[in-house]
Amino acid sequence: MEIMRLVVTGPVGAGKSTFIRSVSEIAVVDTDRRATDETSLLKQKTTVAFDFGRLSFGAEMALHLYGTPGQSRFDFMWDILIQKAHAYILLVAAHRPSEFIDARRICAFMRQRSPVPMIIGLTHMDAPDAWDLENAAIALGYRSVHTRPPIIAVDPTQTASVAQAVITLVQHSMQDCLVEHPI
Amino acid sequence: MAVTGYLSEFSLAEIFSFLEQGNKTGLLTLCTLSDAQPGDRENHYIWLNQGRIVAAANRLDQHGLAYMIGQRGWLGEHTALRVAQTCAATTPIGLSLKTQGLLTVEQLKLLFYTQVMRQVCSLFALKDAWFQFDGKAPLPFAEMTGLNAPATEVTLAALRVLKDWSALTSKLPESTSAIMNIVEGKPQLKLNQQEWHLWEFANGTISLQAIAQQLQLPLEKVQQTAFRLVTVGLVEEIPLVKTIPAAKLQPEAMPMEAATTEATPVSHSFLHNLVGFLKGKV
Repeated sequence: MEIMRLVVTGPVGAGKSTFIRSVSEIAVVDTDRRATDETSLLKQKTTVAFDFGRLSFGAEMALHLYGTPGQSRFDFMWDILIQKAHAYILLVAAHRPSEFIDARRICAFMRQRSPVPMIIGLTHMDAPDAWDLENAAIALGYRSVHTRPPIIAVDPTQTASVAQAVITLVQHSMQDCLVEHPI
Repeated sequence: MAVTGYLSEFSLAEIFSFLEQGNKTGLLTLCTLSDAQPGDRENHYIWLNQGRIVAAANRLDQHGLAYMIGQRGWLGEHTALRVAQTCAATTPIGLSLKTQGLLTVEQLKLLFYTQVMRQVCSLFALKDAWFQFDGKAPLPFAEMTGLNAPATEVTLAALRVLKDWSALTSKLPESTSAIMNIVEGKPQLKLNQQEWHLWEFANGTISLQAIAQQLQLPLEKVQQTAFRLVTVGLVEEIPLVKTIPAAKLQPEAMPMEAATTEATPVSHSFLHNLVGFLKGKV
């Protein structure tokens, strides 16, 4: 069985659980718990361990999706997930600049621990106060289009949009030395 | 597209970092909120050219600098305004006044310090305000001394003297995080002693809590200093992995294969098949 592991990460409320749910063929192993403290101001529930989803294609091929906990106090889970990941996507809500600093922290954490390919998915781009892609990129610390990872708009509630995001990540991965060399 | 928000969500330090990193030109407007005391409510305007602050005012009639010059008795306000009207459309009034021998370089530096450094630094004490950056706004040549400063240089100066950090508590690097230097060589900015000491620990492995103990400084001071270094683009915050609690070593519902399998590379054919499969869902 050949399995690709993709980690979906980002600040609380960016749409990680929704993203996985939109594309998983199985009911997502849902470890949502009642949100505590300031997180409850954003949403009622938040992932405390992680979400797990699966997409099978072909006889012996599957994509496993893991969603990191939204609250950074669960860093030890991230470390376990990152070591196993082939690639990851960082989801960031474009209409919540208060979360950009947390997105940068997550990015720095991931970058320190794993060289695997990543892309950034901006969610809630249809919100009236959403920052546009270029400005969000600069605010996230990427001033040059030549040195930043691919940044795309994604709607985690739409299967087509999520599928397109995963395609972008996979194609980006193919440009990096992810694959085994052909014989 | 205009960039808007509230300082309570995106601090002025972060705004300046964004404007400098993005080499932005335009007008940053800050509006204090309606629950402020009536006497305190006012708008503040800061103009930037390619990420550098060139002017600041609390009025949009382009008379602010002329008023300052008049107040100091160096030149009548009306005279300064007349010069502004006669100089070239793209020449800062300060340069015109210097060229005509009406003001000296030292006077211009003093004006810039009052207009930009003092005025803008005081804005860092605002608890909240609505902000908007308009990248299409023209530069106000009648408000410009001809001098400028990088936005983050102003940030550094302002944060060094900031007394009340309560509005920035959620933005401070966490005590369990480390900082990592992200510039090549030594910083170009002039750092103070505390900032230099912290810079020397910026290797991405030592927590701010440990640094505070080593430097024998209050943790809060170390976090504030680290925030300064982050917002001026010298270091980035690196969260460190927390110690794995024994009770959480076997998280519930974790597929066993994920717990034990290494991340071995996937084949080209796998990736091609996956892309083909996903395209059917787009």
